[in-house]
Amino acid sequence: MVPNLPTDELNNPEQPNLPTDSLSPETQRESEAVEYNENRLDKSGIQAFLFLSPTLVIVLTFIVFPIFFSFYLSFHEWNMFSTNQKFVGLENYIRLLSDPEFWQVLKNTLIYTIGTVPVNMAFSLAVAYALLQKIKGRKLLRTMFFAPVIISPVAAAVIWRWLYDPNYGLVNYSLNIFGIDPINWLKHPQGAMAALIIVGIWKYFGINMVLFSAGLQAIPEHYYEAAEIDGAGRFAKFWNITLPLLAPTTFFILIMSMITSIQVFDLVYVLTSGGPLGSTEVLVVYLYDHAFKFFNMGYASAVAYVMFAILIVLTLVQVKYMKSKVYKAI
Amino acid sequence: MRLYNKNIITKLLIASLLLMGFVGCSSDKSNSSGDKVQITFWHSFVSSTVPALNSLIDEFEKEFPGIDVNAQYVPTGDALAQKLITSVQSNTAPDISWIHAHYLQDLVQSKAIYRMDHFIDGENGLSEETMNDIYPALLQYASWKDTLYSLPMEATNLALLYNKTMFREAGLDPEQPPQTWEELKSYAKKLTFDEDGDGRNDQIGFFVPIYPAGGPQSGWMVWQWMPFLWQSGGYIVNNEQTRVLYNSSAGAQALKLWQDLYFALDLSTFSTDFDAAFSAGHLAMAMDGPWNLPRYKDLLQNLDWAFAPLPAGEEKRATIAGGEYLVIFKQSEHPDAAWQFLKWMTRPETQAKWSMDSGYLPIRHAVLDVPEFQEYLDENPNFKVFVEQMEYAQAQRSLDYYSMQILRHIGEAIEMATVGERSPQEALNISAKKSNDLLDRVER
Repeated sequence: MVPNLPTDELNNPEQPNLPTDSLSPETQRESEAVEYNENRLDKSGIQAFLFLSPTLVIVLTFIVFPIFFSFYLSFHEWNMFSTNQKFVGLENYIRLLSDPEFWQVLKNTLIYTIGTVPVNMAFSLAVAYALLQKIKGRKLLRTMFFAPVIISPVAAAVIWRWLYDPNYGLVNYSLNIFGIDPINWLKHPQGAMAALIIVGIWKYFGINMVLFSAGLQAIPEHYYEAAEIDGAGRFAKFWNITLPLLAPTTFFILIMSMITSIQVFDLVYVLTSGGPLGSTEVLVVYLYDHAFKFFNMGYASAVAYVMFAILIVLTLVQVKYMKSKVYKAI
Repeated sequence: MRLYNKNIITKLLIASLLLMGFVGCSSDKSNSSGDKVQITFWHSFVSSTVPALNSLIDEFEKEFPGIDVNAQYVPTGDALAQKLITSVQSNTAPDISWIHAHYLQDLVQSKAIYRMDHFIDGENGLSEETMNDIYPALLQYASWKDTLYSLPMEATNLALLYNKTMFREAGLDPEQPPQTWEELKSYAKKLTFDEDGDGRNDQIGFFVPIYPAGGPQSGWMVWQWMPFLWQSGGYIVNNEQTRVLYNSSAGAQALKLWQDLYFALDLSTFSTDFDAAFSAGHLAMAMDGPWNLPRYKDLLQNLDWAFAPLPAGEEKRATIAGGEYLVIFKQSEHPDAAWQFLKWMTRPETQAKWSMDSGYLPIRHAVLDVPEFQEYLDENPNFKVFVEQMEYAQAQRSLDYYSMQILRHIGEAIEMATVGERSPQEALNISAKKSNDLLDRVER
């Protein structure tokens, strides 16, 4: 009915035998559309799925399944050798909460977190701010401060164990110069946690420094110029421009640092193994001992879920009470 | 062209997925190659022992040409336990494995391993005479609830390592090492001094091993303390395994000795790698086992050193017996071949060769009658000390329940009494209460 078809359509070698005369342009467009959709389905559906499947299999088996299996286990008693798990209901959780050792472990984790996070944040902000000024060798300094982040935690812990050694460690040697008697840091019930906190700050402040310096560089220069015209001093600029505009970064770093601190394991395990007198036994070390030393899988899973609950609550509280402030500032 | 490409990609993906699947499935369960029966044997001996083990296995294979022993090394005992767990779950357990006695409860309760009487009472079994010849302490470790589930492969115990030169310098007779606790204490004090007057001891008389109770060395610390508990007449647990007994007055005495030494020698600032301190000439006495003898021959070349029996307590002489145990898994396809290997291990000739090559102690008395072994003992007086100590070596009554936790609690008590400065009795009571709470939870 409509004879004038576009010429290139007729010359299209892919559909040479198409009975074009009998088709209305609408039908033709439709058929093209269908073909296009099929193509897209094929491309983005099956093919994409095939590309994703190895990752998907790995994620499902090693991440999603264990998460749910661990939740299931936390209501069971299982020594891992036997093939069936015995259902005990909430017993693991009840035992956990009535165990004074668990509360001690929780307290230790809290001390470690309070000891590391604020100092770490203040320190990394200060260093990031200082290294934005045009000083000589700042690239080298930045690399130096970032280096501990890259080192494997176990290697770092081994180095520090050597530094803290009572007989030939560098720390005691330095203290000795000032006439301070050597302390067996890692064997001292009060000293061990302090020693651990120092290592924790040293190890992780580099990453926060990088995040802070990115945040600082994102603050537009003209705010400062405007402030200068109004006669603002260094401190006023920092207090009224830098800090508020840095709030989203600070907020992010706060949450991430807290999560990292609460999950600390390798540093503690290698440096003190929870000793002396359990003074540095933190949540994940406690969990590890119950799972892989005493083979109490159910109990260990309960510990893991209590820890998960603590982290969720902390994060939610922070998001709820701090988000409003953070975004108002911008 | 496009279609062709897509096909290739799809095919490649499917192929790779299938390949992944195959790789996962190909764990070697096809045990027999031809007429030969192949048995797998997992162990985690220290690497210096591996050559001795290989030559042992060669000898076995020569004698039993139909059996091929495939020994697989797993770096640490803890890793081996974790590997055993996964293998039992996935039905790929080895035929024989080397285990620590602490894991016996879990293996038995999950019905993963055979009882030994299954083989011992069988046609190709072991005579009662042989069983009586094996040191009873070792068989006690090898049992769970008085049923034998494993057989010892070798024995170890603890003796006193001391530096003869330091004894001479301190005016002590180097051929008369301490015989009693009192002597141990007074010798240790005499051998401890501050040479340069900086307020820190430059030489330490005796090493009391204090490690964090939660740490990897904790078991080793408890192991060294147990002889002292027995020497003063104590026990770990009662016969019914319903109550721990280590907080008795005997336990308190044994811990008091350690506490006294710890404070008298000012060990709180002493480094914990005692063998480095000993070889550097900073340490005069320590406890150690025979497995370090081959190492010390090189390490301590320039020192005049010797091993002596542990000093005796008020009640008796005692040292701790240990060793590694072999179990046969029910998933094994050739349990009889596996048993053949275990049985062969108990022969006096095998034990003599294994002991001389590896530095471990033999598991039975009859080995002493093997002429080569006699000669070897005469040439190696330090080794002889350990072998002779086996006569009064004692096993902890193997703990039927919560073995790892209870041992950890004992470690905590030792730490509390030394680092934590609590009285020994108080520290032991706190720890014993925790252990008893656990034993109360056992459904009997």
